Amino acid sequence: MIVAKPHPIRAIAVPVLTGAALAIWAFPVLWALLTSFKTERDVLAYPPSLIFTPTLANYHDVLFGATSIVPNLWSSVIVAVGATFFTVVFAVPAAYALARLRYPAKRASGFYVLATQMLPPVGLIIPYYLVLQRVGGLDTYFGLILIDLTLTLPFAIWLMVSYFEDVPLEMEEAALLDRAGRFGALWHVILPQVRGGIAVTTIFVFLNTWNEFLFAVVIGGNRVRPVTVAMFNFMSVEQTQWARLAAGATLAMLPVILIGLFAQRHIVKGLTVGAVKGGGRR
Amino acid sequence: MSERSFGGRGPRNPGRREILRQGAAMGAAGLVGSSLAGAAFAQADDLGAYKSAKINWRQAEGESITVALIPASYFDILIGLGPQFEALTGIKVRFEKIPPGQIRQKAMLDLSSKTATYATSATDPMYYPLYASNKWVDDLDQYLDDKTLTDAAWFNVDDVIKSWRDSASINGKLYGMPYDGEVTVQVYRKDLYAAKGLKPADTYDEFVSNAKALTDASARTYGVALRGFAGAGQNMYIYPSLFRGFGGTWIEGGKVDVNSKPAVDALAWYVDLLTKYAPPAVRNWNWPDIADAFSQGNIPCYIDASSSATVITNPEKSKVIGKIAYARWPKGPSGKRVTSIWNWGFPINAAASPKQKKAAWLFITWACCAETQIRGSWKYAGAGKRSGVNRLSLVRAPEFATAMQYAGDNFIPAVLESLNQDTDVDWRPRVPQWPAIGDTMATAIQAALVGQKKPKEALDEAQARIQQILKG
Repeated sequence: MIVAKPHPIRAIAVPVLTGAALAIWAFPVLWALLTSFKTERDVLAYPPSLIFTPTLANYHDVLFGATSIVPNLWSSVIVAVGATFFTVVFAVPAAYALARLRYPAKRASGFYVLATQMLPPVGLIIPYYLVLQRVGGLDTYFGLILIDLTLTLPFAIWLMVSYFEDVPLEMEEAALLDRAGRFGALWHVILPQVRGGIAVTTIFVFLNTWNEFLFAVVIGGNRVRPVTVAMFNFMSVEQTQWARLAAGATLAMLPVILIGLFAQRHIVKGLTVGAVKGGGRR
Repeated sequence: MSERSFGGRGPRNPGRREILRQGAAMGAAGLVGSSLAGAAFAQADDLGAYKSAKINWRQAEGESITVALIPASYFDILIGLGPQFEALTGIKVRFEKIPPGQIRQKAMLDLSSKTATYATSATDPMYYPLYASNKWVDDLDQYLDDKTLTDAAWFNVDDVIKSWRDSASINGKLYGMPYDGEVTVQVYRKDLYAAKGLKPADTYDEFVSNAKALTDASARTYGVALRGFAGAGQNMYIYPSLFRGFGGTWIEGGKVDVNSKPAVDALAWYVDLLTKYAPPAVRNWNWPDIADAFSQGNIPCYIDASSSATVITNPEKSKVIGKIAYARWPKGPSGKRVTSIWNWGFPINAAASPKQKKAAWLFITWACCAETQIRGSWKYAGAGKRSGVNRLSLVRAPEFATAMQYAGDNFIPAVLESLNQDTDVDWRPRVPQWPAIGDTMATAIQAALVGQKKPKEALDEAQARIQQILKG
């Protein structure tokens, strides 16, 4: 029996093309990483120098210096974790209801969930600002997390709906027949089935809130100041401190990359879900 | 969109470190906690210069105010001096640094919704028409005239650079007190000019011929750079000077006029200069890119903010220290030299409580008085001493000349003459609709610069659009 060898062109082309695509994707990240170890003078060198004496001064500065971003990283953690937690807590039951329950105006409410996604966030920022001002929510974690929820919830609900729909109806019916009750069935039978979906939702929501800038800069202030906003201040009106900006960006990327690597399997699964569906909306 | 140019060195410079060493601590998030008021400053005990003012500095004691600033070395210096203000007045001040592109948005939200989060905030002169017409900010004359709040002889408001005050005034009423500013000047490499036997340009024509002499496109060397990027604070920072230099008037008898002959000639000149004698990428260059290119020795001349001096002489990056000289804007065909009137001032938020306003005014008085300006300039211990002091007497002071020696040749005369003779309050159209007009013009200029449209065509469209904006 002859084992088909890949065509020689294919054997070369696939890794080359993959490599090229990867390089395009990785270039900005690697460039930022390189820049973060350069002095300002090396950053400006033209043509750009690939060989230079690396310095840790930028990291020292953004961690311990006058413009330390550590409190901002902490601020980002609170906002991202808080928003993610509440998103999941609200999105899971809401998505379940949309996927499984029968109630009046279900279609309309499913559609309405997406209402805030239908116009650009910048169009919502003024009403949000005014409302938060009335309730004393400006520059508070409560306020920013609440506003972030308006962004993340619709997305999370719609993502979760597709997972719930994938769970065979028979499983739930079996649980109901065994007198588990709606909540019992949800808790013991359905949720374990959509664990992967919850993981994906959590990760996506975390990434979105971690990287969020617009609401953070407007709703936040001195107390609540996520790292995305603090980093922006390395671009002063006089000059951009590229090296420090790159060091800050690298630090801010770390949690995202770590979570990404850790959760890669789930993310890929999340992206393909719905492509081929077993169940269907009833 | 931010348009205040250059200025001092970044937070990394020795100056900032110096401040830190001296203990004026900066809170991590760009916030300076008032709890740090006790930090020992070399001059902290020496509040005598302030106490000679015949006002009660402690009349708003116990109040606390928030001041919005942009990240800039001249504001970092002010933040560093903050503990002295707290020691002097007993007022707690929280500084909030907001990215330059967002400060207007935040300030406008705060002012229009009357939240009064910021008692005062760093404000661009082009915004006063909008603020004043909505009564969002107080007319400052009432504070200046109140003897319990202002010792007129001590504060001497007339010493604050007049064109900057004019830029912050509407119908003769002052709405913001200028804190730091700049003029636009020619910056050139005296060694390269000398090698070719060139002098700094006195007219636009000479400016072009200088640029031509220094350009060798085949060797990728270019003679000049001007802001080419689209934006109200980018190409609409340079173009207004050309527009006025060619004899244009923005608004005449309530009618906008941006496609007149002078307007078209000015744009054609701008397009021609950048196309022939500037690096091709200049259409995407922001002012820091220009200063960086100059500091790396890649361009021999540019016209931009005087405050860029501190960037191009930054020993951390510059390769051209000792080779720099300055001159005024060249003269346009109309005979006028027109420099920008850029400055950052402090207004008072009309929605603040009376006590907050009092505290804000004391803060403004302190920040803009001669003594604090001096402490941020020649008395400032670090490098990056402020070049944008707000008073003519200070620009003229011999101490300032000594402090500014690092900038290069002819810096003070060029700045002083520009301030005295070349500043033009009507450099840009000062109307509440400015932001939209600025963007419209910027887009038109960009279209011409990249060759998408002919200057006349681009400006005709801008004219039509701006007429609509003014009507609306």
